[in-house]
Amino acid sequence: MARVTVQLPSVLSIVVGDERRLTVEAESLAAALEQLIERWPGLRGHLFDEAGSFREHVLCFHNQTSTRWLPSLDVPLAEGDVVTILQAVSGG
Amino acid sequence: MSAVTVVVGTIKGTFLVRADRARTSWKVEGPLMKGWKATSVGPDGAGGYVLATASDVYGCAVHRSTNFVDWRQVETGPAYDAGSGFKLNQIWKLVDVGARLYAGVDEAGLFESPDHGETWTQVRGLTAQESRKKWFPGFGGLCAHSLLAGDGGRRLWVGISAVGVFRSDDGGATWNSKNAGVPQVIPDDEHPEIGYCVHALVQDPTDHNTIWRQDHRGMFRTQDGGERWERIENGLPSGFGFPIVFEPRTRTLFAFPLESDEYRIPKDGKLRVFHSKDGGDSWAPLANGLPDEPFYETVLRQAMAVDTCDPAGVYVGTTGGNLFWSNDVGASWQRLPAAFPRILCVEAFAEA
Repeated sequence: MARVTVQLPSVLSIVVGDERRLTVEAESLAAALEQLIERWPGLRGHLFDEAGSFREHVLCFHNQTSTRWLPSLDVPLAEGDVVTILQAVSGG
Repeated sequence: MSAVTVVVGTIKGTFLVRADRARTSWKVEGPLMKGWKATSVGPDGAGGYVLATASDVYGCAVHRSTNFVDWRQVETGPAYDAGSGFKLNQIWKLVDVGARLYAGVDEAGLFESPDHGETWTQVRGLTAQESRKKWFPGFGGLCAHSLLAGDGGRRLWVGISAVGVFRSDDGGATWNSKNAGVPQVIPDDEHPEIGYCVHALVQDPTDHNTIWRQDHRGMFRTQDGGERWERIENGLPSGFGFPIVFEPRTRTLFAFPLESDEYRIPKDGKLRVFHSKDGGDSWAPLANGLPDEPFYETVLRQAMAVDTCDPAGVYVGTTGGNLFWSNDVGASWQRLPAAFPRILCVEAFAEA
């Protein structure tokens, strides 16, 4: 199990309160995200659509890698990795 | 808690506007749930309140509170099944009908909660309609935005843009189109019972089969539960508009007509609330205290409300973020000295 840092956007404090930066222990990115949802079930609908994919404008980074570039979320985690949820911003 | 709390739901958060029972001066609190649209708020049937939020990024959710300030998101809000083929974009209306709480949503459908909003299940009878595959969205989306109930919740009406009004006489198991007398906006060759664009519904609490309907095609009334609708526009500058509310003590209707579906602006650039004291037979403008200068903000379908005080307060929130209020059933008006983000919904709660 790797201890990793998860960072959440401030707008999701509506669900997670002040715990927007937390440490979880998980073997994979998918397992880390599932831990978040077990703790805050309401997060599932905010992060994922009905088909189970990340919502269109939600970005998830594993360190510097967007999950959109990955074939799946079954990515092994290493000690000290950072998982970041971001709101995709476009336009001006 | 203040005697009167007006919940102002905006595109960027929820604001509370509070006053004592005289409602002569107000205090603004918020924004709560900053960054989230507040799309509907109402009683939860257990002495508290429910509020729906939405985000273009993070979807929507239901929250509960006992004091308007501290809100807790419920863990299992309305959600379509993965295999349904439907997407939940927004909760348009939360309605307590006694034993159950309903949520009308976009994409059009209904959810019901037996436990004051904690858990939700889809009302499958509505989306099982044979015409469902031909339902067509209005400009605001394919949304179930209005829900009324009678007969202890056995009889239900739902308004869907741009589909029409459906009524259930068996608690939501089956539904039938109830739009006779209203012109269609988008006739469907396969399903002539759809293609109507209801904008808002309000009900006479003393006779649940009397319903007023602000429709895309005009202002209408039914006195038989929707079997037949009649046009009631005497005195209105336009039949087009969005909100319609009813103040039961004085039996006064309030509406905010707009210039045509093409322009959707106040007629002649004047902010005028129209009211009817005869059940919609005739309408007249209210202007005392409303701005006389050019005014081109509009009022969305859920952004007008009345309170339960005597005399009743009337509240009108605009797309420009202004809140106008009357503490004398519309006889006089003032503008709240605050500018909110675009106002999506307004509800007023008065202590008993």
